[in-house]
Amino acid sequence: MDKIKKLIKSHPPIAQLSSNHLLAIEGMNKNEILSLIERADYFADLETSQIKKFLEGYVVLNVFFENSTRTRVSFEVAGKRLGADVINISVNTSSIKKGESLLDTANTLSAMKPDLLIVRHPESGAPKLFSEYLDCSIVNAGDGRHEHPTQALLDALTIRRKLGEIEGLKISICGDIANSRVARSNIHLLTTLGAQVKCVAPPTLMPKNLMSLGVECFDNLKEGIKDCNVIMLLRLQNERMSGTETPSQREYFHYYGLDKKKLDLANNKAVIMHPGPMNRGVEIASSLADDTQRSLIKTQVEMGVAIRMATLEALHNKKYNK
Amino acid sequence: MNDIQKKILLKTIRLINPKNNFDRESDVVINGNKIVSIEKPGSKTINQKDIDLTYNCKNLILCPGIIDMKVHLNGLNQENITKTQKVASKAGILKLVITPNEDTMLDDPTTIEQLYEKSKDPLKPSILCYGTATKNIAGLQISELGLMTESGAIGFTDGVNCIQDSLVMRRIMSYASMFNKPVIQHAEDRSLAGLSQSNTDNVSGEINEGEISTRLGLIGIPSCAEAIIIERDLRLAKMTNAHYHVSNISTQESVEVIRRGKKKGIKITCDTSPPYFSLNELELLSYKTSFKLSPPLRNEDDRLSITEAIKEGIIDVITSNHFPRSNDTKLLPFSSASVGACGLETLLPLTLSLVKQGLIDLMTALSMLTIKPAKLLNLEIPDIQKDSVASFIIVDPEKSEIINENNLLTSPTPFHGRVLEGFNLATFLNGKIIYESNEFKNLKNG
Repeated sequence: MDKIKKLIKSHPPIAQLSSNHLLAIEGMNKNEILSLIERADYFADLETSQIKKFLEGYVVLNVFFENSTRTRVSFEVAGKRLGADVINISVNTSSIKKGESLLDTANTLSAMKPDLLIVRHPESGAPKLFSEYLDCSIVNAGDGRHEHPTQALLDALTIRRKLGEIEGLKISICGDIANSRVARSNIHLLTTLGAQVKCVAPPTLMPKNLMSLGVECFDNLKEGIKDCNVIMLLRLQNERMSGTETPSQREYFHYYGLDKKKLDLANNKAVIMHPGPMNRGVEIASSLADDTQRSLIKTQVEMGVAIRMATLEALHNKKYNK
Repeated sequence: MNDIQKKILLKTIRLINPKNNFDRESDVVINGNKIVSIEKPGSKTINQKDIDLTYNCKNLILCPGIIDMKVHLNGLNQENITKTQKVASKAGILKLVITPNEDTMLDDPTTIEQLYEKSKDPLKPSILCYGTATKNIAGLQISELGLMTESGAIGFTDGVNCIQDSLVMRRIMSYASMFNKPVIQHAEDRSLAGLSQSNTDNVSGEINEGEISTRLGLIGIPSCAEAIIIERDLRLAKMTNAHYHVSNISTQESVEVIRRGKKKGIKITCDTSPPYFSLNELELLSYKTSFKLSPPLRNEDDRLSITEAIKEGIIDVITSNHFPRSNDTKLLPFSSASVGACGLETLLPLTLSLVKQGLIDLMTALSMLTIKPAKLLNLEIPDIQKDSVASFIIVDPEKSEIINENNLLTSPTPFHGRVLEGFNLATFLNGKIIYESNEFKNLKNG
């Protein structure tokens, strides 16, 4: 019996999702989340040559309405490792603003008969709109301030590989929560898996009624990271701000930038995460970012590919092996 | 359309005339453009031989046509105007007041005259309008309130653009009081709502600020953005002695402020629209853009206080806040989608839903749609008596329909898929039937 358990653990099945899309973590149950993480955990340890090209002939369009390098490349690598045909499309957002309808663009893409669309869009809810009007599967690769589900999944995988089970861990999410889709996805995912989540932000960057999502809120970083096992830092999203949220980057760093001294308040083995790209000297001291003992930033990128492989595989499986 | 000469008998109809608080089952005879007799059912005074057409109207209501004091047009072209009139006659609305917006810039006397010219038709609901309070609804330079009044403007407003500058507002109020016309404000502190010009585009408010905006990652408009403006304007109204009207109130705080103002005897009136007493922000969880309205749908506590304020009489009038929007501007991601939804066709059933819920009685509901807006806007008070002009509607309070935006004459609607009760069956204007449903046709000679 133990042998079987061990075998299952070392070779977890294809993740099971209830939806044809991955639009948001909110609404996903624990089993769905864990099945993706476990499958990705398995992928993460495989050599590229060991990976079977399950997804041959599966057409994936990477449709990015917003600039991105790491997420786009990560999905591309994930798809290609599994043998899918991945096509990158950068849509010029300015032409959309000039009046081209999003659904027109979507219909054009749809005519190319893709199996799956990976969508990043500057507006919250845009991937959901795609899912309502197109026949193919949609993966949300970040929509406005709403969600970035694969980022939260890869963060959870990163934590699990370093610290074990997520249930019971104390995790602080610090920084520009109001404008962060990564924060929202992580909050939903980590609370679903039973972590104790604390959110730290200046009141101007703390969204209203965040407590209703099952987290504790702090405006003092030192209090918010006390005894924490994980500190997730968020980028100050200058492009989504109006200019009155913080007085200066200098003052922000003074109160919310993580440095060695503040880190000492957390659990002595606490790890640091950041979805990137980082603003060194704004949310994190440069020396900490490069501290391989504490910083998991590089591992996060690695896990990104594995999570996206598990996601593509699960949606492919949902479509062809009902 | 029926022949003018015909004598029509509406048999055993429940006649409700809010003007004199009359509510009784009656036989009503129309001859030409006049109501010639109103008698108790079966009364011998009505000679059946004289009657050309009889409608058996048992369980139906006869009441004045609705006066809708907030309707948007998407531009002043003839097609828009005619279509709106057609929808209104079906919905039981006999007077529409057009509110200015960016596409309907009613900011000079000529434009207003053009609107009246294009909408003039004895067989269509009449169209009235407000003039803009400031030129180009920009909130800076006061419009020609006097000349626009002479051209037929019945009040002044910048539509959904709330007048931000306190001095400008003070001047508008002082000046408008000279013409005895209300100043109508869409109360929204634009900087708090993220809408001020100095702000960058990417942080404009989209929905009510709260748990839902947090979950959806949409920019919130705090509810106090509404009350702050009303608070300020009340003080200005007191100082200038102007008639101040707040359009579409949506929050608990606004209700409190207005209640206080009314108690103090300030000339303040207000209206709301069905979405604000029927729906709350939870609808937005679907990201459906037909729920993107201004003011935004608020939380359940706000909705409840709006219904309470209707019951208490703090809210004077219910308006449709009708704003037709094309799919081109609604089938977009939420932030890019246009604001507003249609309301003409659902105004009556949703107002009557307040009666079904036991919040207000039928007389009050119909008053809020007819005589109250008339009084507030200094219009002739609709009346249904012997010898008065035969302009009224016939309502079936039990008629129920599933609202489907594909079957409505205008879209979008935030009430798609809901079952509503209480619809207009026929609209009479100056003795002529300008709209009749199949149900009404079937009552003929019954």
